[in-house]
Amino acid sequence: MKIGILSFAHHHAEAYIDNLQAIDGAELMGVADEDVARRRRFAERYDAPFFETYGALLEAGPDGVIICSENNRHRPLVEQAAAADVHVLCEKPLATTLEDARAIVDACDAAGVLLMTAFPLRFSTPLVQIKEQLDTGALGEVYAFKGVNQGELPTAHREWFIDPVRAGGGAVMDHTVHLVDIMRWYLNSEVREIYAQTNQIFHADEVEVETGALEMLTFENGVFATIDASWSRPPYWPTWGGLGFEMVTERGAVIVDAFSQNLTVYEHTTERARWLPWGSDTNQAMIEEFVAAVREGRTPRVTGMDGYRAVEAALAAYQSAASGQPVRLE
Amino acid sequence: MRIGIVGTGFMGTTHAAGWAETGATIAGFAAETTESAEPLAAEYDAKVYADLEAMLEDVDVVDICTPTHLHRDMVLQAAAAGKDVICEKPLARTTAQAREAVRAAREAGVRLLVAHVVRYFPEYALAQQTVAAGDIGRPGVVRLRRGSYRPKKPIGNWFLDEEKSGGILMDLMIHDFDYARWIAGDVESVFARKVTQGAPDAPVDYGLAILRHRDGALSHVAGAWAYPPPTFRTGLEIAGDAGLVEFDSEATAPITNLIRAPEGDDAPDVALPASPTSESPFTTQIKEFYEALRHDRPARVAAEDGLAAVQIAEAAIESAATGRAVTLDPLPEVQS
Repeated sequence: MKIGILSFAHHHAEAYIDNLQAIDGAELMGVADEDVARRRRFAERYDAPFFETYGALLEAGPDGVIICSENNRHRPLVEQAAAADVHVLCEKPLATTLEDARAIVDACDAAGVLLMTAFPLRFSTPLVQIKEQLDTGALGEVYAFKGVNQGELPTAHREWFIDPVRAGGGAVMDHTVHLVDIMRWYLNSEVREIYAQTNQIFHADEVEVETGALEMLTFENGVFATIDASWSRPPYWPTWGGLGFEMVTERGAVIVDAFSQNLTVYEHTTERARWLPWGSDTNQAMIEEFVAAVREGRTPRVTGMDGYRAVEAALAAYQSAASGQPVRLE
Repeated sequence: MRIGIVGTGFMGTTHAAGWAETGATIAGFAAETTESAEPLAAEYDAKVYADLEAMLEDVDVVDICTPTHLHRDMVLQAAAAGKDVICEKPLARTTAQAREAVRAAREAGVRLLVAHVVRYFPEYALAQQTVAAGDIGRPGVVRLRRGSYRPKKPIGNWFLDEEKSGGILMDLMIHDFDYARWIAGDVESVFARKVTQGAPDAPVDYGLAILRHRDGALSHVAGAWAYPPPTFRTGLEIAGDAGLVEFDSEATAPITNLIRAPEGDDAPDVALPASPTSESPFTTQIKEFYEALRHDRPARVAAEDGLAAVQIAEAAIESAATGRAVTLDPLPEVQS
């Protein structure tokens, strides 16, 4: 099983290399980046064949590729991979416009290749446990979610995360999609409507995009949910941010923090606390699922349409923030 | 200073304990039935009055601790008699009623103090001071939560009668609506949802609200009557452009009690947050009201704050009912 990585624009590519190398029977056949500076920087760091063009990597015959480009560059790379009959795992958000998201899904459908969206929290062991309890009915009927996916300003990872063109927006585009996907997965229901309010008070002088965002979603089945997508964590927070939710049911509530499996470490060198995660690696499980789906020729547990639906919600949130009223999804 | 307390339920009892710590005299109690006022009257060596009217000539201050839908008429009645008024939150059941109450007090030249007790909880007061001192910069996103179980009452559970109490968005979440406004200023728009809007027969209730403040800050307010008794949890997180302050009642509880409760040891009808402090925040509040009345100086919460909080809660109720965001009209009574 030969897997390639297209682009190092997204820092998750670095983790995926390690994830792939830990899988028996999977081979990291190569990495391509058309950005010369980036390719040089990462070629020195990793023991993997480096290709100068995406086309060259695709011609070398991978079974699947992981696409880690800037958000607005996902579409051309997915189309290129699909045209070469190569299965695709695409970083989230799937695209920055609904047109691009649709084209990505259609290109893979037409070529008959698998398309998976990189939503690692579907593979979070605490979140999977809740999903299982929901499905057995142990938690009762769900009424509401109060979700948080707050983070620090993501420029610590990559500068383009705050570029409205390459990222497709700010906090809303960055932090809406994970919780939308988790709630769709839990509820087996689609988002019917979304309301959003945004502001630009955090890092006001450093960015041109929204850094504060509160959203309220209503699902087809009547469940309502808020998402705090804000980049509100200070840069000296013990970690990058987090994701969690309170889920209210007819029987009470379940409060979940997907990342609270951590040590707290205090070091003389930094003079601040740092959280060191020890929970099961969600990225590893996600990459294993992609490899397994390709091997078995089956639909992956997270699809391209899941990515499409999450983008649709994020884009509707922008519409609502502009209009001041909830926006209905078509 | 002679105090007359109307309403002898949970709040009347709590206020009486507060007044007992001041130099004021509790003249007496009025309740729906004289029997229900008798135990408190005996405890504080005070009289039982048939109703508010009967109490008026014996008191300087009327402390209204009755169900919400009765507040407006009682404020008007006390003000017309020239009495200063303490009123439990919410100041009134509707914005129009709350405006009437504020105007009546002004016209009568009496004080009207609204018991938004959260402002007197030391953790909430300290967080406000921290923000006011500029320690975390300008607030950008404020998150407030308050959660418990549904108020139980053996008879006449007016909390669950939305006509009387306004339901969870008014009765419970008004605490944090007021606090959000204290932290981030006047509110421009509200969007809210609650469980019993779509599922009227649900065994729990839960409300979520997004507020936009006039200066651009956002607030997220969550209220739960959904947890198993005797749970009561609160939390706040105020993220600013130069820092962040947070409080979590569970994470900062100085005592964790894992002692088995005796059989039949029931949770109280109405849950109250309780971190051990040398003085109950309810008493701190009554003491400040006492001093504010005695020296004719402001308390940290004014009648206009009580009015503005009712307006936010009413907008939340309207939003939950219509599914639309509700824009708040500036209140002529409230100086921004």
